[in-house]
Amino acid sequence: MEQTFTEEELTLPTCKYEYLDHTADVQLHAWGDSLQEAFEQCGLAMFGYMTELPTVEIQQRSEIKATGHDMESLLFHFLDELLFLFSCEPFLICNKLVITEFITDGEELSITCSCYGEEFTLGKHPQGTEVKAITYSAMQIVNEPKNKQFEVYVIIDI
Amino acid sequence: MVVRQYNQELEYLEKINSYCWRIKKGFQPNMNVEGVFYVNQTLEKLMLDELRNACRPGMVGGFLPGVKQIANVAALPGIVGKSVGLPDVHSGYGFAIGNMAAFDINDPQSIVSPGGVGFDINCGVRLLRTNLFEKDVLPVKEQLAQSLFDHIPVGVGSKGIIPMNAKDLEEALEMGMDWSLREGYIWAEDKEHCEEYGRMLNADPAKVSMRAKKRGLPQLGTLGAGNHYAEIQVVDEIFDKWAACKMGIEEKGQICVMIHSGSRGFGHQVATDALVQMEKAMKRDKIETNDRQLACARINSEEGQDYLKSMAAAANFAWVNRSSMTFLSRQAFAKQFNMAPDDLDMHVIYDVSHNIAKVEEHIVDGKPKTLLVHRKGSTRAFPPHHPLIPVDYQLTGQPVLIGGTMGTCSYVLTGTQQGMLETFGSTCHGAGRALSRAKSRRNLDYTDVLNKLEQMGISIRVASPKLVMEEAPESYKNVTDVVNTCHAAGISKKCIKLRPIAVIKG
Repeated sequence: MEQTFTEEELTLPTCKYEYLDHTADVQLHAWGDSLQEAFEQCGLAMFGYMTELPTVEIQQRSEIKATGHDMESLLFHFLDELLFLFSCEPFLICNKLVITEFITDGEELSITCSCYGEEFTLGKHPQGTEVKAITYSAMQIVNEPKNKQFEVYVIIDI
Repeated sequence: MVVRQYNQELEYLEKINSYCWRIKKGFQPNMNVEGVFYVNQTLEKLMLDELRNACRPGMVGGFLPGVKQIANVAALPGIVGKSVGLPDVHSGYGFAIGNMAAFDINDPQSIVSPGGVGFDINCGVRLLRTNLFEKDVLPVKEQLAQSLFDHIPVGVGSKGIIPMNAKDLEEALEMGMDWSLREGYIWAEDKEHCEEYGRMLNADPAKVSMRAKKRGLPQLGTLGAGNHYAEIQVVDEIFDKWAACKMGIEEKGQICVMIHSGSRGFGHQVATDALVQMEKAMKRDKIETNDRQLACARINSEEGQDYLKSMAAAANFAWVNRSSMTFLSRQAFAKQFNMAPDDLDMHVIYDVSHNIAKVEEHIVDGKPKTLLVHRKGSTRAFPPHHPLIPVDYQLTGQPVLIGGTMGTCSYVLTGTQQGMLETFGSTCHGAGRALSRAKSRRNLDYTDVLNKLEQMGISIRVASPKLVMEEAPESYKNVTDVVNTCHAAGISKKCIKLRPIAVIKG
């Protein structure tokens, strides 16, 4: 099924993430002008480890939902959902994530996110490293609206 | 966490002999037993450097050195004997990688920890022999490497080619290698040369989340990425001729195939699901640990039992996975040499699991006890005459397969009685990382790594060539150091050394 996308949807975000040292695994560090953007960037950082993102074209859109009981678990489940999206149907590799709903107070925190990309295809997308799992190890979320500082650190097991 | 200077930390460590160090109680809070780790001079330096770095002023964050992690494991409820670090130990998630710990099943406080097994449940190594020699293979080495690469799906995003539907998966999870046998992918005798005969009987697919099954289904029969590989190897040296003979290895130059892989996305998801469940169980049962990553549950709790049943299903998945790749390797060789795999004598020498928890009988303080033994980055190494090893190896001790890294040697060891007493019949599993992946990427160039392998006469087929530096030998500890330490310390015995001539990896 061919989907059509608006120009705005096809505009790719700038890269606001990096990979930091860790003995066996890799630490993702992402930032943004809001915590929401830092989360989106963190998701892209993970996809960026699986392939070279410039080879990905926007052809499909999927929506995911993640919930958590605190910010850390929200981030954990958000990334776990993205990993799941890649690991089985629709095998989606994303180059753009847009969080459309970001509820960070109350009993249950939740995220709804539109994920843009296409099915991972051998031959088209170079194979990077496989992500086994998301971990809570040394997870940090910097959420300081006063200083306009929004950053996340996550170690992924590879 | 206790904050101390490096030299103060050293007061808690005592060198017992040239290959063994003791970690005294107090090194970390609440240690129930002491810790121990096995290193030679070279590895000792790596180990202590890691500790020294962590003691530098201004070091914050959750990155604990391996030696601290061994001590934190010693503080878990129900642990008996010692928390053991093997020579390839390095920092991991909760448990160190290269860490084993045993818990008394009959102590109601005892716990099971998914961190003590690792995300890649039943990751392990399988070794096939052939009756070919180096001279038979060298002329067709490139074709054979290509053929293996074409047969075995490798790397991120690859899908299995063994036809499977949801019902097949359920059966495979329950039956392990009995499923592979029934479907005609393996030989009956393959099972004999496999830990647990390739099937954990307590596996219960009903305890596994739909999510794990969905992730697992497309990946069954795939090698994976990272440090997983399939290699064509040559017997380079035989240390124990008699034991090698029992394994069907007659002389130098003989060709073998080594497969290193695990339970893929299935096991990763089982581990992730269990960690989430156990966080809740820990709060409820008020289990205190030194490190949040050491999520665990009482063995007898519902969460503990559910984990063990789903872990067993993941273990079965891994055996079916390695069996499927055994089938594909046999096909690749058969086509190349135009001979049946039978006529090529492509038998499984052995198959070991180096990320697993098992119920075993051991002697603790002179009394027999039933223990739940966690081995994370550690291989079972049972001595001669142990009832759980196959009849063919009753006199030699269990074969222990130690995979090297891309381009380095691999080893076959055998289990010893001393290992049974000192380390609950456990030994090392591989080289163990020394450099971080990001550092490898910065310091090494992938074309240099590939050229170097070519100069060594190793054919390489890799799905993500730009990442080979992460797996370059320079990024790891020297596997020969690791194996020699195990041999010198007496916890296992060197038998065969293998050298790669072709590497297939993700």
